[in-house]
Amino acid sequence: MEDLLKVEDLRTYFFTEAGVVKAVDGISLDVRKGESHGLVGESGSGKSVTALSVMRIVPKPGKIVGGKISFDGTDLLTLKEDDMRRVRGSKIAMVFQDPISSLDPLYTVGKQLIEAIRANNETVSKEQARDMAISLLSNVEISEPERRFNQYPHELSGGMKQRIAIARALARTPTLLFADEPTTNLDVTIQAQVLNLMKDLKKNFNMTLVLITHDMGIIAEMTSRVTVVYAGQVSESAETHTLFYHPTHPYTEALLKAVPRLDKRKQLQSVGGNIPNLIDPPTGCRFHPRCPYAIQICKEKVPDYEEVETDHFVACHRWKELSLVGVQ
Amino acid sequence: MGSLINYIIRRVLFMIPVFIGVTLFTFLIGNAAGNPINLIRLAFKGTLPQNVYLQLVAYYHIGENPLIRYLYYLWDLIHFDLGLSITSQRPVASEIGPWVWTTLYLQLSALALALLIGIPIAIYSARHQHSKSDTTITGIAIFGYSTPTFWLGIIFIYIFSFYLRVLPSSGAVSAITPWWGNWTLDRIAHLILPMTVLTYVQLATIIRLLRGNLLEVLKQDYILAAMASGLKERAVIYGHALRNAITPIITIIGLSLGASLAGAPGLETAFSWPGLGYEFTQAALALDIPTVLGITVIISVMVLVANLATDLVYGFLDPRVRVS
Ligand SMILES: Nc1ncnc2c1ncn2[C@@H]1O[C@H](COP(=O)(O)OP(=O)(O)O)[C@@H](O)[C@H]1O
Ligand SMILES: [Mg+2]
Repeated sequence: MEDLLKVEDLRTYFFTEAGVVKAVDGISLDVRKGESHGLVGESGSGKSVTALSVMRIVPKPGKIVGGKISFDGTDLLTLKEDDMRRVRGSKIAMVFQDPISSLDPLYTVGKQLIEAIRANNETVSKEQARDMAISLLSNVEISEPERRFNQYPHELSGGMKQRIAIARALARTPTLLFADEPTTNLDVTIQAQVLNLMKDLKKNFNMTLVLITHDMGIIAEMTSRVTVVYAGQVSESAETHTLFYHPTHPYTEALLKAVPRLDKRKQLQSVGGNIPNLIDPPTGCRFHPRCPYAIQICKEKVPDYEEVETDHFVACHRWKELSLVGVQ
Repeated sequence: MGSLINYIIRRVLFMIPVFIGVTLFTFLIGNAAGNPINLIRLAFKGTLPQNVYLQLVAYYHIGENPLIRYLYYLWDLIHFDLGLSITSQRPVASEIGPWVWTTLYLQLSALALALLIGIPIAIYSARHQHSKSDTTITGIAIFGYSTPTFWLGIIFIYIFSFYLRVLPSSGAVSAITPWWGNWTLDRIAHLILPMTVLTYVQLATIIRLLRGNLLEVLKQDYILAAMASGLKERAVIYGHALRNAITPIITIIGLSLGASLAGAPGLETAFSWPGLGYEFTQAALALDIPTVLGITVIISVMVLVANLATDLVYGFLDPRVRVS
């Protein structure tokens, strides 16, 4: 399968008063046409900023300072802003983490859907857009779409808001959808429903999905390939199955140990320590202060991103000698 | 829509007790200041004829309990009868009419100008946070925010009227035909100084608050989500960011208009601007209690109406406040 999205050595920094936050500091990503690609890592590791960079909507004081992003053969970073705007929503769309704040509280559901449908697309009349909005609401399995159309966000439940945010992202049938922790702020029962909905929509709309999460359970459930990021850099990337059974990076192993398992009555372990300060990150391998296998070289030298086997890459000095434990 | 109409009705009904409270309070204070007949007598220097005196006693219901007299006052008030001015002996209501207009015309033009200039400046400042221009704008705004209008007025008069001699320092219009012979220009020339002072102070409030809210709103996911759906940046800024940032400020703008009306005596006196505030000072100096009372009631009513208008605009802009 060919690459739909290819991100190479992306660097996005935030120039704050406290210093330069290197939120994304050399992330590479290959997303193939039609796949469900997971982007996983603890909160603060640069997943959201990566997605915002691809859409070129990084908020101030953030700035993309390096790298290359090609989408369907187009170099996105050299596009004029007007042309990039035409890519947003129509080719690449995004669903945000917090459904409460991702809908504008002052406008009705209908207004926000119509706005998304008609962005850069004024040939669609208001009446046509209205019909399209109603059918989008049915697509995301919202009951009584006609009534919901006229309601305001504060009149809806969290799950319903997230369905509407998804409907808005699908408004112009994008090729690629970034779903940034789409279920993190929802109740557990609603989470499962929304994830199932996303699976169906991906198939029905013939989309490629990049699913961002910190939850390895969701990665296992939803994706076929996965990229693990740590402190603004990629630590490992592989097919989901391979990553779970044959992890080669100690951080991946730690994430897998942190997954709650129903079948094993084992104490849940969280990854020990905290994600490093991104203004002044650790030298060498950024994971070394938290890594149980760290040796001298890990503190001194940045590891190369090496091929373990076809489609499996890792950035660790010791991957050949360690035998890490995956899911059993 | 139903909830909006409901909300309007609730707000209007809520005004009635507030109106009664405000007028009762004003009336009692006014009465504590002195018996109007004694003041009239003073004005006539003891030559008040007996029959006029008796008529006045009946007119002011002297001798009745103050609450009963308040009810009479209220009854007259809702018939636009505010009594007679002691200095001019004309009905207060017909004297006040033009003053209301003169005050409003200064206040509203300053507010409109402040919004017109303030909104783009606040947007620019918020979008270029921490830049040199942002820091300068914020500094100037803080200065305006903490400066009393009458003081700024005096400084302006000194610079532009006495030192540079380019603009008139007092009144709303010249007493004699100005040398350029154009009354509209003459009115504008008189308006410039007081309006500039007032605009500057309101501008400071608007920029300071709007910039702060915009910075908060611009971080929200719905702004990113709107950008991500391919909207033009202008549409996102004006349609989503500005509307969300300005909605909570509507209340403060309404309150500041009220405060500005209440503070009108200071500014209007500095410029001898013949509006409610200036005339209030004149009437108070002349112990013209019916006029002072009348102006106080009118200013209170104007503040109430400003608050009502504010609530209605707020309710119209923000669906969340309509439910209660
Ligand atoms: N607007 C911003 N200003 C400054 N730093 C930011 C901003 N947005 C994100 N960051 C920083 O970028 C880093 C990565 O953030 P993010 O991509 O949101 O993490 P994730 O999505 O993986 O949880 C964090 O350290 C965060 O502090
Ligand atoms: Mg995130």
